Amino acid sequence: MLRWISSFLFFLSFSLAEETHWSLRPLEKPPIPKSAYSNPIDAFISQQLKNAKLSFSDPADKRAWIRRVYYDLIGLPPSPAEINNYLNTDQPNAEELLVDKLLASPRHGERWARHWMDVVRYAETHGHDEDAIRENAWPYRDWLIGALNNDMPYADFVRAQVAGDMIIAEVPGATAATGFLACGPWDSSSQMGISDGTIDKKIAQYLDRDDMLSATMSTFTSTTVHCARCHDHKFDPVSLEDYYSLQAVFAGVDKADRLFDIEPETSIKRSKLLAEQRNFEKQINDPKIAKEASSWARKLQQNLPIWDPLNLKEIISSADTPHTVLPDNSILFRGDAPEKDTYGISGTTKLNKLTAIKVEVLTDPSLPMNGPGRAPNGNLHLSEIQVKIDDTPAPIERASADFNQTDWEINKAIDGKKETAWGIHPQEGKSHHSVFIFKEPISISKLTTIKITLDQVHGGSHLIGRLRVDLTGSKYPDAELKIPEKIAKIIRASKDEQSPEHKGALALHYLRTKNSENLATLPDPGKVFAVTSNFTAIGNFKPAIKPREVHILERGNIHSPKEIATPGALSCVPDLQSRFQIPKESNEGTRRLALADWLADKNNVLTWRSIVNRVWHYHFGRGIVSTPNDFGKMGTAPTHPNLLDWLAVEFRNQGGSLKWLHKKIVLSETYRQSTNDRPECQSIDTENKLLWRMNRQRLDAESIHDTVLSLSGMLDLTMGGPSARQFTSKKGIHVTPTLDYLNFNPDDPANFRRSVYRFVFRTVPDPLMEALDCPNASQLAPRRASSVTALQALAMLNNRFLVRQSEHIATKLKNEADPINELFLRAYGRPGTASEIMAFTKYKDEHGLANACRIIINSSEFLYIQ
Amino acid sequence: MRSPINRREFLLRSGGGFGGLAMSQVLGSERSTPHHAPKAKRVIQLFMNGGVSQMDTFDPKPKLKELNGQTFDPGTGELVESVTNSPGFKVLASPFEFKQHGQSGRWVSNVFPHMAKIVDELTFLTSMTSKTNVHGLGSYMQNTGFTLPGFPCMGAWISYGLGNITKDLPEFVVMPDPKGLPYNNLGNFTAGFLPAKHQGTVINVKSNSPINYLFPPQEAKQITKQSESDGLELLRSLNQKYAEKFPSDSQLEARIKSYELAARMQLSAPHIFDLSGETQATKKLYGLEEDKTADFARRCIIGRRMLESGVRFVQIWSGAGGPTNNWDNHANISTELPKMTRQVDQPIAALVRDLKSRGMLEDTLVIWTTEFGRMPFSQGQAGRDHNGGTFVTWLAGAGIKPGIAHGQSDEWAWKAQKEIWCYDLHATILHLLGIDHEKLSVRHNGINRRLTDVHGHVINEILI
Repeated sequence: MLRWISSFLFFLSFSLAEETHWSLRPLEKPPIPKSAYSNPIDAFISQQLKNAKLSFSDPADKRAWIRRVYYDLIGLPPSPAEINNYLNTDQPNAEELLVDKLLASPRHGERWARHWMDVVRYAETHGHDEDAIRENAWPYRDWLIGALNNDMPYADFVRAQVAGDMIIAEVPGATAATGFLACGPWDSSSQMGISDGTIDKKIAQYLDRDDMLSATMSTFTSTTVHCARCHDHKFDPVSLEDYYSLQAVFAGVDKADRLFDIEPETSIKRSKLLAEQRNFEKQINDPKIAKEASSWARKLQQNLPIWDPLNLKEIISSADTPHTVLPDNSILFRGDAPEKDTYGISGTTKLNKLTAIKVEVLTDPSLPMNGPGRAPNGNLHLSEIQVKIDDTPAPIERASADFNQTDWEINKAIDGKKETAWGIHPQEGKSHHSVFIFKEPISISKLTTIKITLDQVHGGSHLIGRLRVDLTGSKYPDAELKIPEKIAKIIRASKDEQSPEHKGALALHYLRTKNSENLATLPDPGKVFAVTSNFTAIGNFKPAIKPREVHILERGNIHSPKEIATPGALSCVPDLQSRFQIPKESNEGTRRLALADWLADKNNVLTWRSIVNRVWHYHFGRGIVSTPNDFGKMGTAPTHPNLLDWLAVEFRNQGGSLKWLHKKIVLSETYRQSTNDRPECQSIDTENKLLWRMNRQRLDAESIHDTVLSLSGMLDLTMGGPSARQFTSKKGIHVTPTLDYLNFNPDDPANFRRSVYRFVFRTVPDPLMEALDCPNASQLAPRRASSVTALQALAMLNNRFLVRQSEHIATKLKNEADPINELFLRAYGRPGTASEIMAFTKYKDEHGLANACRIIINSSEFLYIQ
Repeated sequence: MRSPINRREFLLRSGGGFGGLAMSQVLGSERSTPHHAPKAKRVIQLFMNGGVSQMDTFDPKPKLKELNGQTFDPGTGELVESVTNSPGFKVLASPFEFKQHGQSGRWVSNVFPHMAKIVDELTFLTSMTSKTNVHGLGSYMQNTGFTLPGFPCMGAWISYGLGNITKDLPEFVVMPDPKGLPYNNLGNFTAGFLPAKHQGTVINVKSNSPINYLFPPQEAKQITKQSESDGLELLRSLNQKYAEKFPSDSQLEARIKSYELAARMQLSAPHIFDLSGETQATKKLYGLEEDKTADFARRCIIGRRMLESGVRFVQIWSGAGGPTNNWDNHANISTELPKMTRQVDQPIAALVRDLKSRGMLEDTLVIWTTEFGRMPFSQGQAGRDHNGGTFVTWLAGAGIKPGIAHGQSDEWAWKAQKEIWCYDLHATILHLLGIDHEKLSVRHNGINRRLTDVHGHVINEILI
């Protein structure tokens, strides 16, 4: 109660002291000013121009407009044929048809997903010192492209990224969207290396949640809540308590790989099967289950092999190691353990058919760490096994073991290579067994000698300490390896010998087996690097069993924890509840879902203003609010507050359709204006804040890369999947691999994919992309810089890929009737002028067409959209 | 008293929070007028990657000899934590011998015989402190003032604040250890949210093309000297005509200049890397012709040549990332540390002497530093674990009071008694360059960001 009051007072102090800040005012649709324009955007813009004694510029010519709208909506230039079609059409709604076509193109989602990836700092490595690769980051990128191409309602788009795993019934496949929360940097050395409970570890966890919450709030609400980590926000009504309520929302999750189903039916089936597992204990006494289990066990029993011990005749050791045969027919090796050894064990059997042999390696108190091996840690390495039947080798088809050391699996004992072997680390101190199955059943007699040779040549006394050899003629010799030993024993016992506990264990195993068999029939799930509370612990990085306790930290200091924070969001948004009413015992996903719903609420004034401004920003190169991630007092005020609100309300009323918004904007007169200078306007509004003309924008790094490929005809339009690595990599000195961009083959097909599919490596960025202002993915990048530097000029001139592409463009053009004019048409979207053609033809004749192409892709007209 | 809101608003209104200083935004702009008269014109920083052990080099602790082998107990009830080590910490005395040197009588261990001879030129900060005991975070902190990735490093801030001295070379240059990039890879040299032009230009001294993209690829046979000069002329006239159509767009004009500057860089850069003109005496001074010192000597000489040619900020790294072959001496301090000191000791001492004899030390600031120190107790048998509690940095040259030490660590060199943070060091460096660290700020994601965050005091005690 006290906290509620203090938070209320805090809000009050802001709202009473001064007028409510523009971004927090209720969202109401302003009246559209009277004007000669049918598009309300033009009505709002022209009214403010008029007030400032300014006016619209003339429309851009058709060539400029089509090039502009192509780059804007799909990130690629129009072909000369597409330009011609547009120039020559007399359809009155040609522009609208063109825009519809571009918005329907799969290229559109690719183009706009890349913008979103800037905002959310998407990359595919952890960042930080130990910058390891995230093999499964890309499904989030594919989800984005799909969602934008399908024009997913914006509310769902928001909810999916914060709590997609909770709404898969409504938004299929949305689990992949939660990759959003995980796509920031992750401090693996602190998270994995440092023990739980230490101060350094707690700091790492607070900072990781800070990354998730500040990304969420900056992205969706353009609010800088992270300023309130140490104190109440200095400028905006965000309290320390609000901040830690947001920390509490993410208190149950970490960034890790998680499985997800794309098809909703699969995911429903899977969650049903997984839920069943929790009820097994209750079901084992159900007579129906018991009956099923026992008939299942009977069937299984018939398949279980019967093992017969080898009647030992001769035991030799190449190192002359002494041995003793124990009463259970096992052989114990004694004395000093040699480095290496080879055992030869011969004997006979009463069986008349052999399908497999079993080698049991057994513990013994005389062995180091109880064995079963003779290495100091009790491990062993069986390099090779060979079986001879009366001196004829018996080929082994396959082998299985109850346990395999990583990289030392049982098949290494039959691969013909002495340097590989079977091992049991770290499961020393326990008996193990392996079964070797012959290619075909072998008929034998009582007189047949069976000789088994066991090579153990790894060194370091990795030898078997105690072993027993058994034989079988059964049809399924390794059937019992598929079930736990305890269960096998129960199955083998007669029905009367089975105690109620045995029956219970059997029923439980039956239920589990059936469940996992059913799970195995489902299509393989996808894997995405996202947030989850369910992952396999690695080192000190362990999932939270329930949401971790988050304390309000005074001054953001880990040493000054105050009361425990409860999940919630901002108190300053009118009409929305700032502390979530969710049951205490609910799972962590409920917290995220509550935040997702809070963000996507139709009354969240920040959310709807934020997105329309972001979209406007990319179309015009500047937002109505020029600080797209900061709608607070320290951000800039909107240049067109009524237009912003009209767009926000109308966009929301249109079901949050981004395609509607794009279309409305690019078909406006405002957007259509030319970029030409007008000194009389410049003197009034130098920065063109009121949009008396269109802004000239430089192509971004990705558009340059993709355009060059489209000119050479080499652009690979394959969509989705793991990212294209446009670098060579080899093992680095530590966790981070050593990358080489400069020596990567410029003709490697990985270069030909669209840039949105380029692998983004956080701490070792592509130097070309970096020189062209591709943002550093360690921070949210709501805007891109457009720098001009000498190093950028050198990169554009000398990057191997670009130089090689200029050769490919030349090859593509050389058979055209007028290659130089064709070059201008494709690169600039217009024919060359007489003097340009003359100068370039001269240059081509002297230095070749490839050099001419290289000059064009370095030219300003190519690099700017006017 | 002015409230912080007023000051911030004032800074914001006066242009991105940097008043009249943000001059280097437009390419080709000249040096700026700083906040006050600078003492230093340029900086060379020598970064020892991995965490140099303070009690084995410049911060002797006789107490450790006394306690050697005993369980470490500060006696204050404070928690003794160690990041990669399990508890039960036994004190480890330094295996090295310390002697006093120079007029100033600085104690230096025998791992640095050459630096010992120049101690009267140096000023030691003996209680540097870091917030973290983790390499990646620690290197970010010393370079950018933050433990998280994505913030601009000091070199980028200086480039942003002061711009270039010469147009022919980048203003901020980094020479990583040829054995590999340090912790955080290129993250330590990033411009973060500052314009890309301010990031460190990485020099790969072992490569034929030490600066990325300096020359056309060798396999492109169609590019000849003539095609290049004709082509650049054609490009210039094309870009010129386009720029004339839109005279108000300064970017288009800047693009033309950027290609001219690139051409000048192609001419001047190779000269920097050609050491054939250096005298035999200089080569000997640095140890250029001895195996162990050759690499660091080469990079120090190139660094000096860059400073001479007008580069503003040079950063040279010793040690790659990863667990070995750097200053991260976990296993055995008595064998691992001398291996590193042997490589850098002579070249660094030579650099200071060389700058002095050329009269450059007066307006060049030399900084020797690392990301944190090491523990007074052992890890395993004879190594030491990370310790952000206290470590040593030294400075020399422009505006620095030579031959003194500032700051005090406790009797074990476990923690600082009076902490000196990277914020204070950065504030002092900016101060010497004529920049008020509180005024050099850029608005990013709702916050006016500074190299010194919300901290930092100029260390006046070490200034002339």
